[in-house]
Amino acid sequence: MSYLFDSSNWEWVTTGNNMRFLLEGFAINLEIAAIAIVFSLIFGLLLALARISKLRPLSIVAGIWVDVWRNLPLIFVILYMAIAMPTSWRDAYEEVVPSFFPEALQSGRVLAALLALVLYNSAVLAEIMRSGILSLERGQTEAAASLGLTYRQQMRFVVLPQGLRRMVPATVSQLITLNKDTTLVSIIAIQEVMSAGSILSSFNFFGGVPAPVLQVFIVVGAFFVVVNLVLSRLSRRLEIRERQRTGTTLRRVGGLEDQVAAEADVELAGESER
Amino acid sequence: MSELWEVLTEHLPEFTSGFWVTVRLVAISFAIAIAVGTLIAGLRVQPIRWLRWVGGVYVEIFRNIPLLVLLVISFLGLRRAGVPISPWVAGTGSLGLYTAAYVAEALRSGVFAVGKGQIEASLSLGFTYPQTLRRIVLPQAFRTVIPALGSLVIAMIKNSAIVGVSVVALSDLLKQARIVQSQTFQADETFFWAAVGYLILTGSATLAFRYLERRFAIRR
Repeated sequence: MSYLFDSSNWEWVTTGNNMRFLLEGFAINLEIAAIAIVFSLIFGLLLALARISKLRPLSIVAGIWVDVWRNLPLIFVILYMAIAMPTSWRDAYEEVVPSFFPEALQSGRVLAALLALVLYNSAVLAEIMRSGILSLERGQTEAAASLGLTYRQQMRFVVLPQGLRRMVPATVSQLITLNKDTTLVSIIAIQEVMSAGSILSSFNFFGGVPAPVLQVFIVVGAFFVVVNLVLSRLSRRLEIRERQRTGTTLRRVGGLEDQVAAEADVELAGESER
Repeated sequence: MSELWEVLTEHLPEFTSGFWVTVRLVAISFAIAIAVGTLIAGLRVQPIRWLRWVGGVYVEIFRNIPLLVLLVISFLGLRRAGVPISPWVAGTGSLGLYTAAYVAEALRSGVFAVGKGQIEASLSLGFTYPQTLRRIVLPQAFRTVIPALGSLVIAMIKNSAIVGVSVVALSDLLKQARIVQSQTFQADETFFWAAVGYLILTGSATLAFRYLERRFAIRR
């Protein structure tokens, strides 16, 4: 206990540029998360649409694809991508990556990490979106069809706006999980906050006392707690406002680590009872 | 194709030992998660305000911190601080405490799903608050959270791979696959069989919880 509260151990975190070094590493995590979020949402929606498509073969293939990728450990996918991705892809990425990107993102390994993050998360998000779409009453599509809307118009104007809105909490909690999962890319030697933390704790002080690991990583953990808390609070607030405005109800989805959505569901049920 | 089988038959001992390490890791961590999660959920639904706050802080911290950070803190961090923690304690402890936050949230939502009238009825029958929680609320809450617990077990199976690969030197399925891969240089084949192992685990967890859900479904 005395070690934990020893102020010299805590001082190490803020000595010189150490805090800045950690924060720069954390920025890389946030950037990787942001890129992965954009592509995962796009591919997730495409996969969800393929899965509910009326074309039998397409929906079967999409179903198997989604079920395989979302049931494998993400770290497994990251490691496999890092080993198995062709070097030509890596070179191609290094050539096209914009020069204003930070140095850590210039490495070809980042492509492997991004591919893995998008493969896994697009499959999870596809399942979330699909259950949101399926939770919509059939009357909605039937009404839209009887009004003369084509399949594409039904999707765009009737089904997706309502179905996806129901899934906002589940999507946000998955995106928070994605944000946490960016720490896993340190395993394939991408320079981010975990590697910054290990560098900081690899020093020896005068007299050969090794630098603290505990304090450094408690601070790293605090970064994530702060950012994720802000994100979830923000989304909760938006969601409540949106729900009051539109009167939509929320659904829960299986296979998710985070069950914030479930909680919101119950809160809503409590509200309507009162 | 023959190479695919060769990798499996020649390295079957590695794959099976890794598979069982993963199973054990998940089983122990799940027990910890249920125990701690129930305790925290209990804290979050009882009437004393500051205890509710303690439960809330636990959930927000452990739900928002990456598991990898937790593993580094509990293994490397504690070791350097002079605590001789074993890989198994650090691995199952981290995974268990991490998942406990989610279990607590799931249970809490289950508790709120039990009608308020039930609690009032129980209190008016002379049950004390802890008795009400234990005999009336929790049995019903557990039933409604079976699907959520199933999701958590699947997430745990996937998260257990992080324990093996990161600092905590436990030879789980993914770790063994990497060892085999470094010996044979056949990445596709070894990762294929590791994937099969994980899909068997997540698939059987899915089926088991689907069965439980049907078994304990409330018939109205």
